[in-house]
Amino acid sequence: MAGVARAEPLRPAWRVDRQSVACTVVLGVVAFGVVFPILLVVAQSFQTALPGQPPRYGLDGWRAALAEPALRTSLLNTLSVTFVRQLLSLPLAVFIAWLLARTDLPGRRWIEFAFWAAFFLPTLTVTLSWILLLDPEYGLVNTMLARLPLAGKGPFNIYSFWGIVWVHIITGSLTVKVILLTPAFRNMNAAFEEASRVAGAGTLRTALRITVPVMAPVILSVLLLGTLVSLQTFEVEQVLGIPFRFFVFSTTIYDLLVTRVPRYDAATALAVVVLVAMLPVIVAQQWLTRGRRYTTVTGQFRNTPHALGAWRWPALVGALGVVGIVLGVPVVFAVLGTFMKLFGFFHVAQPWTLDNWTTVLTDELFLSSVRNTIVLAVGTALAAVFLHSLIAYIAVRTRYPGRRVLDFVSWLPFTVPGVILGLALLWLFLGTPVLRPLYGTTALLIIAGVISGMPLGVQIIKSGLMQLGGELEEASRIAGASWWTTYRRIVLRLMAPTLVAVGMITFVGAARNIASVALLSTTANRPLAILQLDYIAQKKFEEAVVIACIIMLISLAGALVARFLGVRANIG
Amino acid sequence: MDRASLEVRKGEIFTLLGPSGCGKTTTLRLVAGLERPDAGEITLRGRVVASVPRRVFVAPNRRNLGMVFQSYAIWPHMSVFEHVAYPLSLRGLGGAAIRDRVERVLELVGLAGMEARAATLLSGGQMQRLALCRALVYEPDLLLLDEPFSNLDAKLREQMRLELRLLQRRLGVTVLFVTHDQIEALGLSDRIAVMHAGRVEQVGPPQSLYERPVSAFVRDFLGTTAILRGRVGSVGTGGVSVAMSGALAGRTLAGRSASPAPLAPGAEVHVAIRPEDIEVDGAGMDGNALPGVIDTLLFVGDRYEARVALGDEQRLVLLLPRARQWKEGQPVSLAFPREAVSVWPA
Repeated sequence: MAGVARAEPLRPAWRVDRQSVACTVVLGVVAFGVVFPILLVVAQSFQTALPGQPPRYGLDGWRAALAEPALRTSLLNTLSVTFVRQLLSLPLAVFIAWLLARTDLPGRRWIEFAFWAAFFLPTLTVTLSWILLLDPEYGLVNTMLARLPLAGKGPFNIYSFWGIVWVHIITGSLTVKVILLTPAFRNMNAAFEEASRVAGAGTLRTALRITVPVMAPVILSVLLLGTLVSLQTFEVEQVLGIPFRFFVFSTTIYDLLVTRVPRYDAATALAVVVLVAMLPVIVAQQWLTRGRRYTTVTGQFRNTPHALGAWRWPALVGALGVVGIVLGVPVVFAVLGTFMKLFGFFHVAQPWTLDNWTTVLTDELFLSSVRNTIVLAVGTALAAVFLHSLIAYIAVRTRYPGRRVLDFVSWLPFTVPGVILGLALLWLFLGTPVLRPLYGTTALLIIAGVISGMPLGVQIIKSGLMQLGGELEEASRIAGASWWTTYRRIVLRLMAPTLVAVGMITFVGAARNIASVALLSTTANRPLAILQLDYIAQKKFEEAVVIACIIMLISLAGALVARFLGVRANIG
Repeated sequence: MDRASLEVRKGEIFTLLGPSGCGKTTTLRLVAGLERPDAGEITLRGRVVASVPRRVFVAPNRRNLGMVFQSYAIWPHMSVFEHVAYPLSLRGLGGAAIRDRVERVLELVGLAGMEARAATLLSGGQMQRLALCRALVYEPDLLLLDEPFSNLDAKLREQMRLELRLLQRRLGVTVLFVTHDQIEALGLSDRIAVMHAGRVEQVGPPQSLYERPVSAFVRDFLGTTAILRGRVGSVGTGGVSVAMSGALAGRTLAGRSASPAPLAPGAEVHVAIRPEDIEVDGAGMDGNALPGVIDTLLFVGDRYEARVALGDEQRLVLLLPRARQWKEGQPVSLAFPREAVSVWPA
C-alpha cells in the first residue's frame, strides 16, 4: 500500500483544489466590488444626518421615500413602460433574429451589423435626434404633416408615454434583443428545423412550432434581461419625461439626489426598494437557466438557410425600414443637429453653422476627454472580458461550491440604478484607505464600468458557454492540457466571437456611460460623456450634440472593429 | 455506480458493454478523471490516480490517457494539423518533432495530405480518424473510447472496427472501450465486462461470455436465446433432466445446470439454448430432441430463415441450410446438443 502511494506523490488537499482557490479569489473580488457597495447603500438609507454633519441613524429616509405619493406613481410608470416595451419589442426581435439567422434574406449580414451599430448609438444621441423629428412644436415630421391640407397641427408628441416607449424600443429594447438572439438562432442545429420541414411543415409553421420553442430558454433569458435593463432606464425619461412630469424610479432617485439639499437617505431607501423588487426577477432567471442543457453546438454541424422565395424582397424592405428607424434617423439627425445654430429650429432664416464644431474642437478639455474616453473604454473592455468570462466559466463549467453565489452576485449590479452605484463606489473608494489614491484616476471609472456591465457580460458569455459542448473541453483535458491551458487555447478561442461582442458592448457602454461615472469623475479623468453632460448643464445644447456625435463615431468605429474581428474569429 | 471492480490488462481491448444508463460511460469518465468518485480507488500502471480513502485525485491532464468522444469533440477553430499537434505541444515537443509525429500518425489512419484542412470540413469517418489520431499521437498509457462508432453508418462502422483492431494490434496500446452494441463488443474485445444497473455482471473473453453466461441478463443481452419452460426431473453428475411444461408436456430435455445453487427436483426452471446450436433434423438424436413445425419460411439468399413452432406457443427463428429443400408446414425434429443446453432457475 505504502509503496504504491509513494510512487504517486500525494498532493495535499490545498493543491488538489487549486481551482477552488482561484474560484474563491474571483468570488471575493466580485463580492467586494458588488456586495459591499450595496451594503453601503443599505446602511446609508438609515443615515439621516444632512451631508457634512455627524452621522445620525433613523428611519426618516424610509418614511419620506415610502410616504411620498410620487413614489407609487413612479413605480406604476416604471412597470407600465417596461411592460409595453417588452410586449412590443420581443415578437419583433424574435422575428428579425429568425430572418437574419435562419433565412436567405439578402444582405442579412449587413443588416445584422446595422443592428449592432444601432445598439452602439448613445441613448442620449438617439433621443435628441428623435426630438428633432417628433417635437410637438417644431419636430420635422409634425411641421411637414401640418402642411398637408387635413391636419391643422402635427399629431405626434415625443414628450408623452408613447414617445418614451418609442424611443426606448429604438434605443435598447429592440436592438439588444436582435443582437443577442441572432447568434443564438444561428447556432441552433438545423436538423430540428429540417426534420419539421420533412414532416411537411412550411417555413412559417416550422419557425413558430419548432424554432421558437427550441429557442425558448434563450428567448426567455433575453426577455428577463431586457426587463431588468428597462427597469432602470434613466436618460430617456430624464429628457422626455420631466417636461410633462412623468417620473420613473431612476429619475425620482436622481431628483432626490440633485435637489439643493440632497436626500441621500430617501434616495438610497428608494434604491433598496428597487433592489428588493428586482431580486425575484433575477431568481426566476437563474431558476430558468439552471441545469437546463441546451447544448446545440457540437464539433460537427451544418446550417442551411430557409429559402424565403417570393417573400425575400418584402422581408428585405421591412428589415431595411426598421434599420432606417433604429440607425438611419438617429445618425442623420445627430449629424445635422451639430450644424444647427439653434438646436431643433429648422425654420429660422440661416439655420446652419460650423461654429459648434470649432467651439468644441478648440476646447482644451476636449482633447483630454477624448484621451480619457479611449483609455477608459479600452481598459474597461479588456478588464470586463477577462473578469466576466472567468465568472461565467466558473458558474457554468466548474463544480465550485460557491458558483451559484457567484452567479447571483454577478446579477446584482442590475438592481442598483447607475447613479446610486456610482455613489456607492465613491463611498467605497473614499472610505477604504488603501483604495483612496484611486480616486480621480481612470482606473476607478474602469472599475465602475466593469461592475455595471457585469450582468449583461456574464450572461452573454454564459449562454455562449452553455451552447458549447462540454466534450470539446474534456478532450483538451484528456490530451494533457491543464484547466488554465484549456481555458486559454480552447474556451477562449471558441468563444472569441462572443467575447469580442462582450468586449465591444462594454467598450461602447464605457464610452457613453453617464449614470455610474457622473459622481466619480474629476477634471483629471473626465471622459467625453461627462463633458457632454457639462455642456447640457450649461445649456450648450449644440455643443452637447457635437460631443454626442463624436461618441457615436467612436462607438460605430468600435462596432466596425467588432464585426471585423468577429468575422475573422468565426472563420479562423 | 456501485461495487464495480475491474482490471484492464496491458495491451488488451477491454470493453464495457451494457444498455444505456448502466453506468459504463460513468465508469469511463471516472477513469478519465472527468468525474470524481465518491468511494474507491483507480490505479493506472501501478499509479493511484484517484482514491477516496487516500484523498488522491489526479487531474485528467496528468493521467496520460487518450480518449475518443462519442461526438468526436473536434475543435471547430483548428485545422487537422493543429488538432494532432495540440497534445504534442502541451508535452513540450519542438516544431520539427511535432511535424514528424503528426505526419506519421495521420499516415497511419489515411489522413495524410489533409493537414491544412479545417477540421469541420471533414466527413464523419474522417473526423473520427482525426479524433483517434489526436488521442494516439502522444502514445497514451490507455486509450478510452466512448461509443466511437455510434455516429457512423453501418458500412463505415464495420470498416472502422476493423481498422481500429489492426491499429491496436500494431501499436499495442491498451484500450478501454464503451459500447451498447454487442456485435461491436464481441468482435473487437479481448475481454468484456457486461454491466447492468451500475454493477458488473460478468467479465471474461467474448466467447466464454457468450457460451457460459453467469446470469440471465448476460445470457439475454448477448446474442439471442431460445427459452423453454419446465420442471427439474432428475439431477445427475452429467447434468439436469427437465420435464417440459405447457404444450410440450411429456417431453424431457437434458442439459447442464447454470444455477449457482444445486437445483432441486420439481423446481421450475428455464431451459436456454442459442438457436444456432439447434440441429434441425440432425442425425445425433441422443434423445435430446423436440418436434416442431416450420411456421414461416424466408429465403434470404445464402440460407433460409425459418420460424419453427414448438407446441403451440413457443416459436424459434432458426437458420436452415440452403442445401436441402424446406417448405412451410413441414414437421421437423430439433436436436438440442446436451453441452449447448443450460438450465436456469426460473
